[in-house]
Amino acid sequence: MIEVTGLTKRYGAFTAVQDLSFTVRPGEVLGLVGPNGAGKTSTLRCLAGIIPPNAGTVRIGGLDLASDPVAAKRQLAFLPDEPKLFDYLTVRQHLAFVARIYGVANHEPLAQTLLEELEIADKADQLPGELSRGMKQKLVIACGLLHGPSVIFFDEPLTGLDPLGIRRMKDSIRQRALGGAAIVLSSHLLHLLEEVCSHVLILKKGEKIAGGTLAEVSARFAQGESHVSLEEIFIRATGGTEG
Amino acid sequence: MIRAFFYLRGTTLQNQLLSRVRRLRQPKYLFGAIAGAAYFWFIFFRQTGFKGPPGRGLPPMAEGSDLFPLVFIFGAFVTYALYRVIAAWAAPAAPGLPFTEAEAAFLFPAPLSRRTLIHYKLLSSQLPILFQAALLTLISTRWTFLGGNAGIHALGWWVIFSTLNLHTTGAALTVTRLIAQGVGKLQRQVVVFGLLLLLAAAVAVILWRTAPPLTANDTAHPAALFRYLAGLTRAGPLYWLLLPGRVVVAPFLAQGWREFFLVLGPALLVLAAHYVWVLRSETPFEEGSIAQAEKRGAAVAALKAGTYRLGGGKARPGPFQLASHGGRPEIAFLWKNLLSTQSFFTLRTFAASAGVIVVVCTWLSHGSDAQRSTLSILGVCGVMMAGYALVLGPQLARQDFRGDLGHMDLFKTYPLPGWQVVLGELLAPVAILTGIVWLALLTATLSLGAFRAPVVWLTVEFRTTAALCLAVVLPLLCTLQLMVPNAATLLFPSWTQATRTRDRGLDVMGQRLIFAAGQFFVIALAVLPAAVAGVLLWFAARLLGGEVGSAVMATLGIVLVLGLEIAVGLLCLGWRFEKFDLSSESVK
Ligand SMILES: Nc1ncnc2c1ncn2[C@@H]1O[C@H](COP(=O)(O)OP(=O)(O)O)[C@@H](O)[C@H]1O
Ligand SMILES: [Mg+2]
Repeated sequence: MIEVTGLTKRYGAFTAVQDLSFTVRPGEVLGLVGPNGAGKTSTLRCLAGIIPPNAGTVRIGGLDLASDPVAAKRQLAFLPDEPKLFDYLTVRQHLAFVARIYGVANHEPLAQTLLEELEIADKADQLPGELSRGMKQKLVIACGLLHGPSVIFFDEPLTGLDPLGIRRMKDSIRQRALGGAAIVLSSHLLHLLEEVCSHVLILKKGEKIAGGTLAEVSARFAQGESHVSLEEIFIRATGGTEG
Repeated sequence: MIRAFFYLRGTTLQNQLLSRVRRLRQPKYLFGAIAGAAYFWFIFFRQTGFKGPPGRGLPPMAEGSDLFPLVFIFGAFVTYALYRVIAAWAAPAAPGLPFTEAEAAFLFPAPLSRRTLIHYKLLSSQLPILFQAALLTLISTRWTFLGGNAGIHALGWWVIFSTLNLHTTGAALTVTRLIAQGVGKLQRQVVVFGLLLLLAAAVAVILWRTAPPLTANDTAHPAALFRYLAGLTRAGPLYWLLLPGRVVVAPFLAQGWREFFLVLGPALLVLAAHYVWVLRSETPFEEGSIAQAEKRGAAVAALKAGTYRLGGGKARPGPFQLASHGGRPEIAFLWKNLLSTQSFFTLRTFAASAGVIVVVCTWLSHGSDAQRSTLSILGVCGVMMAGYALVLGPQLARQDFRGDLGHMDLFKTYPLPGWQVVLGELLAPVAILTGIVWLALLTATLSLGAFRAPVVWLTVEFRTTAALCLAVVLPLLCTLQLMVPNAATLLFPSWTQATRTRDRGLDVMGQRLIFAAGQFFVIALAVLPAAVAGVLLWFAARLLGGEVGSAVMATLGIVLVLGLEIAVGLLCLGWRFEKFDLSSESVK
């Protein structure tokens, strides 16, 4: 469960996110869409407690992220667009480290299952430098899922993946939602939204211009026409210009 | 090509200067520039008398007491030159010529002949050479006993560096060609080092047989010693062996302009011969250049990201087994950061070293006078080592926030209070420095047994107590020392970034000076209350009991104050870490 009210993030005088409010229930997947620079990454970083918002509250599983950050963070995972790994820890050592940080007892069987699910078990003793981009992304996911988060944030989860990797990622997101996780992902790739999101939120220059279930948003911008593509809706919604 | 070259260099230089000047608007660079300029002026100009009335100058430097720095500088320069020559000949992979990635991308596909590229490279290296020559001239004009003047020195340095550069360029091309012809790394290194050994042996033998004895007169004055050493190289086969080097250095050593022009001829001849050699060794060097450029680019990127490591990138088991359940998260940071450094920082290495130290020191302390004096030298080394580890250690052991700036975002998503992350990040360098300091302390303590007539108050009992007390206090001091650069990283991440780049310039140098002074100041301030508490408790306890008891009391007081300071520091830094917004610091 994610509850956001009045979220605002400013960089100096520049407002990157303006008064954003929404709720994501367990099992829902919310897609944040918008052109480059719309404020998607800034929003997600505020939600994960990486950067402090200038105004508004974020509640993760009922816990306020500002007043009880440790307990709130225990329930979430943030998967950045660029896989950032420790150069000198092997795949397995990454998982051991994360297990200790999150206090996951007896993590080995869990880690092994995750590695096998993600098909990187055979790379368990390699350093990130020897892994391909897709493999690194998988390792980041394994680290994020090890403590069984009930809230997951994905920032541009498909960046740099090959077609097969994209399919697996979509499956993996859907599976986590079915398992009861509340998920927020950002993307400017519309087919991802169509296939995995239950809800969308369209951002433009940091402001919400539309939100709701996929059907509701389509209906709002279809203007009575039938079979309007998502791409067309997106372009109409954002006014067809960047930023 | 020449015009393109000058355009590129000119605009690069202009833009560099402009951006340097422009960034002075930021106070951190302005203050850095002021500190750097003051330092520079103080070191070079003030003492050379550049600014003073001509002819009055300061007394010449070579007054005997300066022999050490002089020999040091001279030795350092010869070592540097030798290193460059040997490194060029013994390069492990095809070295190519040192083009940057951008140069390689633009110039290699361009319609330029290989000879033109070589010329381009030679011309580009002139800028740093001119800079080096100017800088060294500022230093060498202080060596008045050398004779000559600033102009002669400047031109002399230019001849030396240009020849060195041509030599390494020729060597790089030759080695590249040899590798293309299938001559392996081992073969070359055997030949290079074999030749060196042979030369060294020959020199040693010749000196042994022919050198005139060194008299007191020769060592009375550095100039005399120089003359003596120069005399050695003028005799017999050594003359021929060192001739090329002497010819190159001769213009620099000239006493006046007349002599300068006399010896310039042969020096230029050597330079020209090198130039011809370089042109004749033309060989496909592009591949090697690209490989080396990529390597350098990756190293610079790693340095900027704070992930630059000296140790190779090999997977290995951790320094200890991270228990698979339970346990504090701080230990995970320690484990991770120890993995990022050399593999010998383990408890086992520490125990083994301690064992060796105990055995060696005990053996030495029960032996002859010679053994005992060796032990006392070891003891002095131990004290020096401890001092270095305490003072310089925090700058060298950087397996903390300074190495993890790129992972700050990740750490902030961890369900840990800030102080725990800070503590965890501090543990690795603290552990490393503590290990080193303890070993040094052990050596120093055991070496005190070397005194034949023991100082009265230096009983075994007191020695042991003092060592144990120090062993307790020093890790806390290390922690405090390490908190300063980490606090700087959290408070001014972009400053920390600035001190880590290879960016050069007066302002960056000044920033480093400011940092060093700041560190010193903060530590002095932090240690003062602890020292006061320790001294007061010591005297109070002395009124009641013996030395051992008062030492323990004093230590307790110091530990209490330092511990309190560390705890407060951790809480403050933890609070700062929680508020830390790297994205608003524009670190990139
Ligand atoms: N650290 C920062 N400092 C200043 N402006 C920033 C910073 N990070 C992002 N921005 C600005 O905020 C806006 C939103 O950025 P971001 O959240 O990364 O957008 P998105 O992820 O949707 O592409 C952009 O205009 C960007 O330039
Ligand atoms: Mg983004």
